[in-house]
Amino acid sequence: MDQNRKTYRLVRLLTGAVTPVLLAGVLLAFARLHDGAWEPGAQAAGICRELLAGTTEGRQALFGSCWVAPLPVLFYLPFAWLLPEPVAGCAAFFVAWLFVFWAVREAVKATGQSGWRIVLAQAAIAGMMAVARQPQALQIATALAAGLALMAAASLADWAAFRRLRDVVAAGAAGAFLMLCGMPFFGPAGLAVGLLPLAACGRPDTRQRFQAWLLLGWLPMVYTVGVWLLMNRLILGDAFFFLRSLRYLVPRTYLFLPAVLAPGLLLLPALILTWWSDARQEKPGAGLTAASALLISFALVLLASANVFGRFGIGWDTVTLYVCVLVVLMIAQARLSQPFYRFALSLALFVWLSTLWLGGAARPVTAESRGRICQEVETYVNARTPYGRVFVLGYAGLDLLRGYAGERLAPNMDLHVGSLRRAYKGQNLYVLVPRPEGQVRAESVFWRHPDIYERGAERLLYARAFGSWRLFEVVSAPTQEQLDEWKKKR
Amino acid sequence: MSDATGQRDEVQRKIAAIDPLELSHRRPEWSASQPMTRSQKVALLTLLALVVLAFVCAPLKAAQGTIAVCTLYYVVSTLYKFAVIRASLSPSAILRFSDQDIADREPREWPLFSILVPMYKEPETVKQMVASLSAMDYPADRKDVQILLEADDAVTLAAARALTLPAGFRVTEVPKSFPRTKPKACNIGLHLAKGEYLVIYDAEDLPEKDQLKKAVLAFEASPEKVACVQSRLNYYNPQQNVLTRWFTAEYSAWFDLQLPGLAALGAVIPLGGTSNHFKTKLLQDLMGWDAYNVTEDCDLGVRLGRAGYATRMLETTTWEEACSDFWFWIKQRTRWQKGYIQTWFVHMRDPLKLLKELGVVNFLHYQLLVGGGTFSVLINPLFWCMALVWFVFRPEGVSQLFPGPVFAAGAVCLFIGNFVFIYINLLGCCKRKKDGLMWWSLLTPVYWIMMSYSGWRAFIQFFRDPFVWEKTQHGLVKKS
Repeated sequence: MDQNRKTYRLVRLLTGAVTPVLLAGVLLAFARLHDGAWEPGAQAAGICRELLAGTTEGRQALFGSCWVAPLPVLFYLPFAWLLPEPVAGCAAFFVAWLFVFWAVREAVKATGQSGWRIVLAQAAIAGMMAVARQPQALQIATALAAGLALMAAASLADWAAFRRLRDVVAAGAAGAFLMLCGMPFFGPAGLAVGLLPLAACGRPDTRQRFQAWLLLGWLPMVYTVGVWLLMNRLILGDAFFFLRSLRYLVPRTYLFLPAVLAPGLLLLPALILTWWSDARQEKPGAGLTAASALLISFALVLLASANVFGRFGIGWDTVTLYVCVLVVLMIAQARLSQPFYRFALSLALFVWLSTLWLGGAARPVTAESRGRICQEVETYVNARTPYGRVFVLGYAGLDLLRGYAGERLAPNMDLHVGSLRRAYKGQNLYVLVPRPEGQVRAESVFWRHPDIYERGAERLLYARAFGSWRLFEVVSAPTQEQLDEWKKKR
Repeated sequence: MSDATGQRDEVQRKIAAIDPLELSHRRPEWSASQPMTRSQKVALLTLLALVVLAFVCAPLKAAQGTIAVCTLYYVVSTLYKFAVIRASLSPSAILRFSDQDIADREPREWPLFSILVPMYKEPETVKQMVASLSAMDYPADRKDVQILLEADDAVTLAAARALTLPAGFRVTEVPKSFPRTKPKACNIGLHLAKGEYLVIYDAEDLPEKDQLKKAVLAFEASPEKVACVQSRLNYYNPQQNVLTRWFTAEYSAWFDLQLPGLAALGAVIPLGGTSNHFKTKLLQDLMGWDAYNVTEDCDLGVRLGRAGYATRMLETTTWEEACSDFWFWIKQRTRWQKGYIQTWFVHMRDPLKLLKELGVVNFLHYQLLVGGGTFSVLINPLFWCMALVWFVFRPEGVSQLFPGPVFAAGAVCLFIGNFVFIYINLLGCCKRKKDGLMWWSLLTPVYWIMMSYSGWRAFIQFFRDPFVWEKTQHGLVKKS
């Protein structure tokens, strides 16, 4: 008895503390050594800076886009508050990966596998990240999404297998948090949560409690979406502001929603297997085979979602989705008890990973020097007017201003030229626009003014380019004081 | 003179010799007979003066500081709740015994079990109470049931005497004296108890039939330091009205999730009002209940912890009647919250000693459970009003009160914390298989407003009428 307890404690220490800490440390060291300019929380850091300063722009940025999702920002916030850069980023990255390894442990442990199987799964996932050498794969947001996707999938599978109340709660919560990881996860999260009450319909006794599973499973997600809508209504004046970019980015929006939900069909065979197995059992619960089928199906849903986004030309988070697929498949593999299936799945994973990443590991991205651009813009504006103010647009702007301590440049999340002119009457206003490529295309300024980068907009005149950024001057009639001053000079 | 009269006189002589206020006489520092000590009064007034001074000298900074402290408390409290619920999943959270476990131990000599049933002016429940206790699956000759009645409660006395009480049942008359509280009556019952174990039931309680046997098995299976085994309480009339639905949801979450979670964490447990099973000798050594404390159960739970004893949860339910009348509910809740305030002040007379006796972790449990619970209900209305004003009018002033990190933490508490509290109620209902109540639990915030109202009422009453016992009215379900 004592020996068992000792072994249990040792395994718990190994899988819950030692291995996760070691692996997260290794990943952190790897990322730092691989790319000196690596920043694990690039987008979140800029938003946190504004949030901590208590500005409206920070609040707008937190909720205003389905592409730059709130969860990584909220996760990063305490680190940004307590620690300086870049320590905050590294600490947040470390903790985010601890969370992933903890989720791996919980997911494998549920099926009663040995401690070594858990350690191997954790190490394999860390190894895959190192093999990937993709900057995006080593971001805080990716780790959070992977951990949550895994938690949602594993809890769904455990719910089907064991019918424990805790699994409904965990899957519901993970689904809701996964939703907060951004647009690419809306579909998979919705499908995972949607499946919760359905998975319990295989037997009359659990089917009778459908409303309980529905409420417990769906409520966190419904509430999360409700709060997101409410915050958009309160802070940005439009409940659907965070989704508006879709109409600009996706030409045939009417096809997009069905396409996002279509991968759900991949879950149907696993669901039917779950019902069938459940009905055959004496006790409620479908058993481990149906649970494995659900896990693998969920990984396929994630994979299909990545393809859907790629086909619609908005596959910026494809790497994040791939990481989630790999993590979920790795767990499915670790939970399988039959060696043949385990071997087959390992082989499939290995082949896929090789073709996907080994051939084309991305080169480290050298970020444009933020400080230099800010300095150049400031010098340019100061040379023209002592009353200049430059609004740097969007999430890219928040990132640009992270290290900026001056007052000439200010962030702006929701460009309204008229409002700016009214608010800063008498000042010479400028707008600094990022290049609309990749995820930057989803910035609100581009769905409000699609050609702004190329042609400017009403009252916006091109001034000069700074790296990939373009500066536009806001043209307005001079005030009487400015006219008088000008006349005096003449 | 008949034998019966002689025996009654003998009992009355014994009762007259009992000091039901023994705790307050021998250990006044453990009793709420003095609600606040002089040093506590001085500390409280000093704190109040400092706060007022801060608000006068630097109102914005003072308001920001106050809000930051409250927000920090909300964050801690939400995380704490989450940790407790997670701990409730642990196998050690609750002691479970199946019918088979009981059968495996039969036949055996079951120990004598004392049952105390304090009653006051509730003649209509006597018959039901006797029937329900008689029906319990425990040898009749091993039950020692005392119906504790106040000497001036003629109606209930008459109702009890009109019945032919089964073997092992007796009526104990509690002499009229101040304070007129349930714990005072229980202390008399405790002195006259003959059993190795002892339990308290309210008159309207319907304990599960095998509860006493399970309690015995629980004590036998637990370490020596386990002094109390708390059964789960729930209500048999949840469908009566919306109040009973909310009340049942709250009780389901408290007794089925939170208390087992606390037990798993080895925390000090504020005992429920009834169905707590004790080792009689040990309880006598602790001088029973504090007759001046209006939640003597909560206080006793803390005293057990301070004395180094543990409380465990037992998987068996006692069904009670949920208060279905708004004003009676407010009065009952006022009493409970006033009792928590009393208990907090009693044990915080010497915080360092408390820290030493409970240990750091249990000291924090105590602060969050006993002090924190009341603190929440008192400050909640302020924050609800601010949130409402911010949502509706968006005044700049409110934003100024929440600097960046405080705003973020406050928003998380507002949106996640409140949701977690509602969700816990849903979980409680689900665990109890009361699925129909889950939809009603979504309206729990209305219930919180009622709790805050009674919280403020309790706070005021603590200073004005600390010993007033607002008795819970039972039997409303039958009337309805």
